[in-house]
Amino acid sequence: MRFALAIGTFLILFIHGVVLYNQFSHKWERHQIAYFDQARAQAKSDAERAALEDRKPRIEQTVVADFGETRVARCVTCHIASDDPRFSGYQQPLKTHPYSVAMGDVQKDGRWERRHKFSEFGCTVCHDGQGRGLSPEFAHGNDEFWPDPLLGYATQPTWRKDLVPMLRGKEYLEANCAQCHPGSEFKGTPTVNRGMQLFYASNCYGCHRIEGMSDGTIGPDLSEVGRKFKIDYIYARIKDPKSVLATSIMPRFNMLNDEDIKALVIFLKSRKGRNFSETEMERYHLRATGGAELVQAHIKPVAINPAQMVKQGEQLINDRACTACHKLGAKDGAIAPDLSFEGLIREPQWLDAHFRNPRSTMPDSIMPSFRFTEDEFKAMTAYLSGLRTAPPAPTPEATYKALCLRCHGEKGDGRGPIAEHLDPSPRDFTKAAFMNSKTMTRLVGSVRKGVAGTSMPAWGKLLDEQQATNLLGYIQTAFVKEARTDLKPHTVPETNPVPSSPESIKRGQATFVENCAGCHGKRGDGKGPNSLDILPKPRNLRNAFFLETVEDKRLFDSILYGVQGTAMPSWTDYGFDNNTVGDLVNFIRNLNPKPKGGQNAGTI
Amino acid sequence: MSKAADKTSILAAVKELPGNVWKSIFRNPLPTNDLERSSTSFTNFFLHIHPVKVHKNSLRPAYTLGLGLISFFLFVILIVTGILLMFYYVPSTSQAYDRMLDLRGTVAFGTILRNMHRWSAHGMVAMVFLHLCRVFLTGSYKKPREFNWVVGVILFLLTLGMSFTGYLLPWDQLAFWAITVGTAIAGYAPIIGKDIQFLLMGGTSVGQEALLRFYVLHVAVLPAILTLMIAIHFWRIRKDGGLSRPADADPTPPMEMMGASADPKPVQLEPRKTYGLQGLVRGPLTKVNNIPDNTVFSWPNLFLAELFVFIMTLSAILVLALLFNAPLEEPVNVMHPPNPAKAPWYFLGLQEMVSYSAFWGGIGVPGVFVGLLFITPYLDRSPKGVGKWFSRDRLLANTIFISFVLANVVFVIIGTFFRGPNWAFVTPW
Amino acid sequence: MAVNLKRSSGGGTAEVNVSRRRMLGWITGTGLVGSGVLSALSNFVFIKPRATYGQPQRFSIGKPDDFPAGTRITLEARRICVVREGSRLAAISTTCTHLGCIVGLSDTGFACPCHGSRFDTDGTVTGGPAPRALPWFKITLAPNGEIEVDKDIEVAPGSYLTL
Repeated sequence: MRFALAIGTFLILFIHGVVLYNQFSHKWERHQIAYFDQARAQAKSDAERAALEDRKPRIEQTVVADFGETRVARCVTCHIASDDPRFSGYQQPLKTHPYSVAMGDVQKDGRWERRHKFSEFGCTVCHDGQGRGLSPEFAHGNDEFWPDPLLGYATQPTWRKDLVPMLRGKEYLEANCAQCHPGSEFKGTPTVNRGMQLFYASNCYGCHRIEGMSDGTIGPDLSEVGRKFKIDYIYARIKDPKSVLATSIMPRFNMLNDEDIKALVIFLKSRKGRNFSETEMERYHLRATGGAELVQAHIKPVAINPAQMVKQGEQLINDRACTACHKLGAKDGAIAPDLSFEGLIREPQWLDAHFRNPRSTMPDSIMPSFRFTEDEFKAMTAYLSGLRTAPPAPTPEATYKALCLRCHGEKGDGRGPIAEHLDPSPRDFTKAAFMNSKTMTRLVGSVRKGVAGTSMPAWGKLLDEQQATNLLGYIQTAFVKEARTDLKPHTVPETNPVPSSPESIKRGQATFVENCAGCHGKRGDGKGPNSLDILPKPRNLRNAFFLETVEDKRLFDSILYGVQGTAMPSWTDYGFDNNTVGDLVNFIRNLNPKPKGGQNAGTI
Repeated sequence: MSKAADKTSILAAVKELPGNVWKSIFRNPLPTNDLERSSTSFTNFFLHIHPVKVHKNSLRPAYTLGLGLISFFLFVILIVTGILLMFYYVPSTSQAYDRMLDLRGTVAFGTILRNMHRWSAHGMVAMVFLHLCRVFLTGSYKKPREFNWVVGVILFLLTLGMSFTGYLLPWDQLAFWAITVGTAIAGYAPIIGKDIQFLLMGGTSVGQEALLRFYVLHVAVLPAILTLMIAIHFWRIRKDGGLSRPADADPTPPMEMMGASADPKPVQLEPRKTYGLQGLVRGPLTKVNNIPDNTVFSWPNLFLAELFVFIMTLSAILVLALLFNAPLEEPVNVMHPPNPAKAPWYFLGLQEMVSYSAFWGGIGVPGVFVGLLFITPYLDRSPKGVGKWFSRDRLLANTIFISFVLANVVFVIIGTFFRGPNWAFVTPW
Repeated sequence: MAVNLKRSSGGGTAEVNVSRRRMLGWITGTGLVGSGVLSALSNFVFIKPRATYGQPQRFSIGKPDDFPAGTRITLEARRICVVREGSRLAAISTTCTHLGCIVGLSDTGFACPCHGSRFDTDGTVTGGPAPRALPWFKITLAPNGEIEVDKDIEVAPGSYLTL
């Protein structure tokens, strides 16, 4: 034991020594000594030599109290030559910070003079990074826990490797320039300005609010996004929203290239809530008015001249970047349906209602409600209603490609280019069990009359009975790939035998909560806890437009015998009879008061 | 007296100065005989808390595992490092995190001190709990040590409280959300739960008030109570006759004829602790050192053993502090909870249980467990099985205890390693 | 834990034991005392801040043109007085050497409002309880063309920076 004691005490002594040694040997000391030596060697006058006398290595810092919370910048401890013009040819950390005319530096009598003096601004006001750190890793923010790594220079180990090249570059510094120079015309921040243009041109403003700039309410408020998130997160979130948050409803904007996204990221990084240029009064005014007039200044309303309505409508649809999502002629945002022949498939009343509130005609639409004036709505409706030229479609295959492919996909599997943004999702034709269990009449009906309350419009004006049948024939051979067989007739009542009454609805609700809520949700909105894992998603039973077009007969059939090719089972196997289902149907019907106007389904 | 004599006496005094100073502080030379050994023990302030002689059983490392001492030494390390850290810490939401950054980067020895404090704190929670297990599994809580067991359980709870209140102080994401979750668990207590939560946080959410309260509890209130309780704990160890030991650890004392000479009765001399201070003696007879016992002098046996434990504890903490850095995550972002937000590891068992049942997991089961711990010595009155690990006489009690402990350990492990985002089950590899 | 209680009587092994034990004791003692000394030392190093939280000791006060000849101006936040005579510059402390009050400019130099210490224009004591002259700080022309004062370095009174 005494031997162990001796060893133990010496271990302690040793560790003390190691720790003590560590405290007295710092990298920054070596940098400073190197700087003193070099500066002495370069000194040309006695004054320069005298200035270096008595200089010893120590922690140098700038304390900046004028920009937000007091900042301590110890960066100059290593970067001690940052303001010494003699060191412009040296390697970091002993390198002069470059001078730049763009940043307002001027040359006088052969000597540069900085516009942004380091003694006033410090370092982190422009560069971010951790001013208190004294080792490169911590000071530059290379550790994953520092929220503001050096903008455009430092990356963190948790960042996606494939994005890292796009997250570097001195353009990122513009985000901090914009804290003092917020004007969209400021020449020093071209990337921020471009990002701001893209924010409007890509319709980001429709969903997202930025104080004083936009007032969308579908997506998160981005007023302080630059303070809350690192650039890698913002970048990934725009590049591929679902890769960051699986439940995100934000579309992927395919038309944005990497440089566009970078500009958007830099613009968003500059949104840090209150910036340094804003005065208390401006702030108060913004808060008091909700910033409505500022928003109006960004999205200027257009005075509509009744004589030129169609033309102005076209202009509006172009200017407000509807094609950031929709397809219209040659322009295609690849997120939302084709508008090129909208007049043939949607009624003007429907269009008008859809413009004002997309969810008033299509309950699960992700389209935001944009801010337009009454006249502007009318003008855009007038323009779209006039688009009545059907695309050429000589064969059923060509018809499919022109009209159906965008949603139902090249392979007919319901995964067309825009399918992931549609709810309910487009029908998967390769599920033969479903296709072959529905009558031809119903399928033709779905094509020609559309499916109310969904993105499936009525194609009746483009396709007559025969063309629709031919199209379905093509789908049958190309995608379903199983011959239709004779359907077993199901015995279902024509109309609900159970009269609707409060008791019946109550019974129906009890049955629903017990058996159906897992998928359809306890509110019947199709968002039950199991719905995440089911494709096609459970039907939203509060979609009044859809429910209105569905007869009792079909509800009974779907509940009693299930929907083939989906997760809906046959409930006769679970002991449901016509009375149980009758109560359920009464409950479901009761969820949906008759929609007003009835402009949901297309008329032929 | 002549001047010459004066001179010589002053010279002599100067010459003997170091020796005299030494003697005035340490009254004894290094002891060479038993008298000096006992004198050393009770004339030194730091040593007099020890008995002069100590039972051999108490010195068996396999019996105590030194767990109580390790806990105490960790507490000493925590006090020293904690006081030093207080020089640089500011309990303010705007400054606390910056001070952490300074400790990590700028302040000399800041990192190592913070590491030592952190790892000692975790170590103390673990060691105090293991000490509690040791005492239970050797049946040492039995008469006459019932009250000291209760003090021990209080010490365990205080240790948890110390660690929990300290957890918030770095004011990073880890701290903030662990405390948010931890105080929420307290909120599940019936009737008073919400009040406790409100009292702890000084508001409805964790913020500046909570930070200040946790700081005061951590650096003043809890350490004071803990120190007092430790003093009582140590004092009671001696008053209860030293560490527990099996009944057969002492030789059978001799019989002696006692009473009036006409009617002497054979009486068994009790092996009382009769060698108290200054030879003052309790018991029927002044039989100091005449009753055979199994004791040895504390100097050097006990003191060397204690020094050994201290050195080992300190080396372990120093090595840990040198190799592993205490975590410091992002600064607090109230809007952005990590997923999953986890309580400190020793409360993860609770959090895991709360995820099954709020009341039973957070309050019911742990309440019953702690309640049982408190009243165990008053329920289990059988004197059998004291001083032996896993005694057959205590099969039932030990089984119940071990199953509780194992269940908690399993829950802590699940909560720590097997819970991912949304508290879903994940495999750590 | 087998510590032998009684001294072994005689025998070569026992003597080896004793001397070995004594040596181990010395080693242990040295280790403990050494560690103690080192930790005490470390604690003082720890308590002494390496970076202060106020303004840094070395700072820039602007360009030479900001101080025309004949300037005699106090920078209160920095606690210095900048003096320019012709092309010579100096920075004199305005912290009274008596008890740390801030001295003000007077006709004859500096005067302290607390206990009446008076200094001449060079900071030399001319009256009152102040024990020493006001210190002069190192003042240099930094490579970026600005004037830097370093309050960590005192220079002899009368050492000007000549531009």
